[in-house]
Amino acid sequence: MKAAIPDDVIVLLQESLAAWCVPGVISQKPDGSLELCAAGTRIQIARAPAGLPFRWLVGVGELRRPVSGLPGLLRSVRAALDPNFRPLPVRIAALPLAP
Amino acid sequence: MIPVWVLTGFLGSGKTTLLGRLLKSPGFARTAVIINEFGEVGLDHELVETSDESFVALQTGCLCCAVRDDLVLTLETLLRRRATGEVPPFERVIIETSGLADPAPILHALMTQAAFVARLAVAGVVTTVDAVNGSQSLDRYPEASKQVAVADRLLLTKTDLLAAAASGLSERLTALNPAAELLTACFGEIAADQLFGSEAVPATLERWLRVSQAAHARRGGQHHAADLTSFALVRKEPMRAVSLTLLLEVLAEHVGSDLIRLKGLINIAECPERPAVIHGVQHVFHPPAWLERWPSDDRRSRLVLIGRNLRPAWVEALWAALETEVGEVSDGSHASGQRGAELRPGPRPPRALFPAR
Repeated sequence: MKAAIPDDVIVLLQESLAAWCVPGVISQKPDGSLELCAAGTRIQIARAPAGLPFRWLVGVGELRRPVSGLPGLLRSVRAALDPNFRPLPVRIAALPLAP
Repeated sequence: MIPVWVLTGFLGSGKTTLLGRLLKSPGFARTAVIINEFGEVGLDHELVETSDESFVALQTGCLCCAVRDDLVLTLETLLRRRATGEVPPFERVIIETSGLADPAPILHALMTQAAFVARLAVAGVVTTVDAVNGSQSLDRYPEASKQVAVADRLLLTKTDLLAAAASGLSERLTALNPAAELLTACFGEIAADQLFGSEAVPATLERWLRVSQAAHARRGGQHHAADLTSFALVRKEPMRAVSLTLLLEVLAEHVGSDLIRLKGLINIAECPERPAVIHGVQHVFHPPAWLERWPSDDRRSRLVLIGRNLRPAWVEALWAALETEVGEVSDGSHASGQRGAELRPGPRPPRALFPAR
């Protein structure tokens, strides 16, 4: 049994499909993971097991890759759905924001 | 820090007439003006006279295209000559763009050049809109809409010719950019400080806060004009600094090219007594400016976005989901009660907090 995916992540994925103008369906499987079907592609999304240095596992076909957080999750999903999507070439580092 | 203003507006909207008037007024003293013209031979600089302490530099070509590097070079040269006393000690820089220019790349150049960081600060964008032809320009030229969308102040010109049309145009401009201050000038007559006064910045902030609240209160909190969308998001809970950086990263990555302008007053959980002002153009964001105190008792975080085909529900869902995830990581919890991994930057090494592309 995998960890359940929070509702706000499911809402975010649904809204993301709408924002990218990609019609699709997201369904929750009995083990708690998600299956996203859109643009002729089937994507498996699951919480990573505890103790690993990432939070999500994204599977497309036979390929399964770990991602560290929601920005990476959205990047992976969109890249799988849209061959023209180009990820941002730099990351915004999570540094302290002290005035 | 020397404030830099960008003066933009579509072809024939009265930029040069305005500058010609302002440059002769005492309130415009100690100003360096960079005039950009599209074409090999510039004329506009011949049409303006300056007072003793102000001066004009000329560039040809479109500022937002090939001569962006030239703009950087021009500014560096001006700063060097100011330091050596070769030019008057100007206290303000105005960059007049060509009428066809997209102001966003110009703002990017100003915001991202390391050489300017400690010496120049983008003070704002003033956009002139012609009361006679403004509506037609907005209909036909996307550059005109974008010039309006990025403005901090909009100046309606030629209202002496067609005041009636200007009233309908005003509503259209307000729909395109509800946070911009709308001013009027006849024959280029307007006080310099009303347009380019840096002391007006707190007033600007208060105005767009009012507008963001009004927009949020309306159904959906959303304006539409042509294909541009403007909306405000409001959240009561303070936001963690990490959530803010991740939010900006995702916005830049997924809607950066469509995000014309973003402004925000954010209650950062780690520093709740001092609000952070964030400001971005497309995928480039200013480092946050910290106000000394909250401008009112309202301490909610407020974010205003202007862009093409933006979806408020997506931004709202993104904000909420990021807060949940960062909260889980910060609290050391996983949805299943297991300990989660620390949030890390992506696979490439981090370069800066608010980097340029």
